[in-house]
Amino acid sequence: MASILYPLASLSQIEKTPSREDGIPEDLEEDLRAYGCKLIHQAGILLKQKQVAVAAAQILFQRFWFVSSMKQFGVGDVGMGALYLASKLEECPLRMRDLINVYDLLLQRASHSLSSKSDQDFRYHPMSYFGSTFYELKDALVLSEMQILKRLGFNVHVVLPYGTLISYLRILGLDKNTEACTRAWGYLNDAHQTPVYALYQIPTIICAAIYLTAMHLQIPLPASSPLSWWELFDTNEEDVLSVSGHIMRLYRERTAEERRRVVGLVTKKEVRRWLEENMTASK
Amino acid sequence: MNYIQVCWPAALCYHSVRVFTTTCTGEGTYATVFKGRSRTTNEIVALKEIHLDAEEGTPSTAIREISLMKELKHVNIVRLHDVIHTETKLVLIFEYCEQDLKKYMDQHGDRGALDPNTVRSFMFQLLKGTAFCHENQVLHRDLKPQNLLINRKGELKLGDFGLARAFGVPVNTFSNEVVTLWYRAPDVLLGSRTYSTSIDVWSCGCIFAEMISGNPLFRGRDNQDQLLHIMRIIGTPSDAQFQKICKETPELQIKQFPRYAKMPFQQVLPKASPQAIDLLERLLKFDPAERISAAEALSHPYFTSAVAPTPFGLNTSPGSMAPPSFNFPHPHGHQAAQQYHQQQQQQQQQQQQQQQQHVQHLPIQYGRQPAMPMYNQHPQAPVQDPMAAAAHAAQAQARAHAQALAQAQAQAQYGNVQFAPPQNYGR
Repeated sequence: MASILYPLASLSQIEKTPSREDGIPEDLEEDLRAYGCKLIHQAGILLKQKQVAVAAAQILFQRFWFVSSMKQFGVGDVGMGALYLASKLEECPLRMRDLINVYDLLLQRASHSLSSKSDQDFRYHPMSYFGSTFYELKDALVLSEMQILKRLGFNVHVVLPYGTLISYLRILGLDKNTEACTRAWGYLNDAHQTPVYALYQIPTIICAAIYLTAMHLQIPLPASSPLSWWELFDTNEEDVLSVSGHIMRLYRERTAEERRRVVGLVTKKEVRRWLEENMTASK
Repeated sequence: MNYIQVCWPAALCYHSVRVFTTTCTGEGTYATVFKGRSRTTNEIVALKEIHLDAEEGTPSTAIREISLMKELKHVNIVRLHDVIHTETKLVLIFEYCEQDLKKYMDQHGDRGALDPNTVRSFMFQLLKGTAFCHENQVLHRDLKPQNLLINRKGELKLGDFGLARAFGVPVNTFSNEVVTLWYRAPDVLLGSRTYSTSIDVWSCGCIFAEMISGNPLFRGRDNQDQLLHIMRIIGTPSDAQFQKICKETPELQIKQFPRYAKMPFQQVLPKASPQAIDLLERLLKFDPAERISAAEALSHPYFTSAVAPTPFGLNTSPGSMAPPSFNFPHPHGHQAAQQYHQQQQQQQQQQQQQQQQHVQHLPIQYGRQPAMPMYNQHPQAPVQDPMAAAAHAAQAQARAHAQALAQAQAQAQYGNVQFAPPQNYGR
């Protein structure tokens, strides 16, 4: 029983997240969450980490922002802490130095894309082995891991959707349809960039992934009310559509300005500066 | 809507300041343990102080221990009361237990061997705690006498969840480096990464034998040697058995092993009763799929047929800890006490029937499938595997005979002694 269900955000946490209490607009928080998760994902690929650890890290990361504000913690540090913690939990621990180097690379590359030299090729400048950068990042990593544990009250139990997705596809007779499987799997992975894993239980999220797959590939599934297929998996239309909406929002067209904004707001210092500038501007 | 909404607390209650009078009681590999008294509840508690390492961050053992134990509330599991989290250390506040099973056996046993009633009681509690973990989808992965704590009331509690993990729908393989060597299941020794609850059951079996004899059952030097120790007693599996195990867990690496014949447990543990031997056989199956589950083991006749427990103190020296009040025969302890008493009477009758039944149908092969307690619910027609029955018929006869003999002896021995009064329990 402990394993099937996992903690979800409460209604009041959803209505007003700590970041929004601190004046961070809803759309900015959404973008920063997604960007933090992308960094975790990229770091996971560079570190050749198992997908289970990466997915678990993204879930913990999303949960964290329901109990903490982005004014207090940067998405970069927390992402790094979440990946480090999840790797311990999934029994494939990472070396601190590897993780720090990879995050440093990712952040340098991102800030290069913002700088005036962005038309030139990116060159990574490694930090010195005993330099202060390393020790600062290491302290930040240990601290954010501890903060995640503390603020989530050690509720680090996550349930990953992959095994269940396969049995659902099998029940629906879609397991031989490679394209459908790949697509549904992809939606589940992309859903990690949204807060849905902290809002709904696994069956609903999987149904949404299958729902989107069926829509895009035009696979007919019984959807009329008393006999709709998702009822087989204990979920309902409203929730499935809500999760699908979260996922589809990721793919909407973004302006260059919107894309650039998140890259410059990875640390709490940058977020604080942004808040000061925008607060005074609005006054 | 069918999902359940659970809120997570912002924190356990890290900031509740409590002062303790402390004395150091032990030092583990990564933590120091103190004994203390809570100023708020006046209870004696154990404080486990874990220093946070700048090289590793929060130790994963501590993360596992807190995240799992905080949810597991059961009499046979050490209770985690609170966690205090500071910059440099983590203090876990546990329910206090006087000693561990290893020390208990050294102090109270006859060269380590405990008397049959204590063994039965501890074994029951061990299985109960283990079954509770499994029901809640937690694998302990390090059951051994040192990790089983015994309190003043004679209650046995599972402790040290530093290696434990949650399991569910499998998406990942598990670490192979689990469980202290002597208590490690053969499938793990062969390299399994997809093991499940049966690895804890194996450890329970090893502990059972150790309580009976006073010595660890399989004392290997390394992985390979440990496997040989196991096979020397329970026999080398046949090629067909190996093939079956390999098919179920493809990651296993099976080399050539010397062919050992199975040794009768009666020879290894001459002190054990036939029913104890039967339970042990089911706990220590080489093939994990054949191993009994902890929940099923609780309804084994070894526990359920203990109608009139022999008095305590018979084999224990004066002043030793009394074993706890018996909560078997009925394994479903969460039922109300009244119900329990009513049932007890019924059960006694049933058991008498079943005992006879059991003598006749001893070689029932328990798989891991039956969800119902076999012995209570089906007095009239236990499902029999004809093959197994044929194969074991001779053995069963011999065993039945031995059992009858043992019972007769037991009656002769304990027939006149009165049931010990409950005042003896606490001190």
